[in-house]
Amino acid sequence: MTMTTQARSASDNAAVVTEFFDRYRARDVHGMGDLCAINADFSYPAFEMWGKQRVVRGDGKVGTVGKAIWAGLIQAFPNLSNSVHSIEANDEGDVVVQVDIGGTQQLPWGFVRPAGRTYSEPHLFIFKVNQDGLIRSLTAYWNNAGISQQLGHLEVD
Amino acid sequence: MRTTSTDPVADFLTGFTNADVDAALAAVADDVRVTFHGLGVRGTGTDSIRRVLEDIVTAFPDLRVTTKRVVRIGNVVTAEIKVEGTQAADYAGAINQEKHLDLDEAWRFEVREGRIVAVDAYWCQQQLYRRLGVKRFDQIAIV
Repeated sequence: MTMTTQARSASDNAAVVTEFFDRYRARDVHGMGDLCAINADFSYPAFEMWGKQRVVRGDGKVGTVGKAIWAGLIQAFPNLSNSVHSIEANDEGDVVVQVDIGGTQQLPWGFVRPAGRTYSEPHLFIFKVNQDGLIRSLTAYWNNAGISQQLGHLEVD
Repeated sequence: MRTTSTDPVADFLTGFTNADVDAALAAVADDVRVTFHGLGVRGTGTDSIRRVLEDIVTAFPDLRVTTKRVVRIGNVVTAEIKVEGTQAADYAGAINQEKHLDLDEAWRFEVREGRIVAVDAYWCQQQLYRRLGVKRFDQIAIV
């Protein structure tokens, strides 16, 4: 028996990522993870926390690094939300999204102490969706300086 | 007279990689819309982008720009790049301490009729300041 895989269209791939941000808006971390392949790659180059002896970076897998970051962010910003401005997708599974993410801080986030302030910061996400309709990798870029200053944290570290 | 290109983003990145601002800008439409999120710069026209490119090329004379991935979706081209160099002049308010910069960036281009008509560049300015030895956002020039 020969198995064939139905080719996925650009709109199919865009729909997966739209659902990802819908679940992010609903603060459904497990649901976000369910849209990702097992062992999906995760990269947040802007995420780095400099400790005295090591640097924690936002690179690894969705299951180990990504979900922990999303859960921590939602814990610190219980009303975390997002506003998607553009989604571009192709038949090869590439999806690029411009989205503002923000919320009001209730708990510490990194070195930023909570002062009840709200932030909103533009992000660019780059996804790869596989033939099974699951996110195979995601990378996001944003400016932490904008977030820190909106939250009233003026120290670089 | 400027000619249009079959791949203006490649031309732009080659110009940037070679620290050749004029070559990079040859791929850009005169009325280009630019947003540099890290710098808080928004503008229209090539002068906006020229200033940003010239500042970094001047401050980091050994600038190295490495293209890691390019994603093409219709008229939108997104490039993930790494920018590296050693500071040799003040940059973005940070005084020169001869620090090494390495910064991951994403540039989203919109292309029409062989020219770049929009640029949205994303990087973390906090990471940049950290690399350059800046301690506080409200005292960028104080180390």
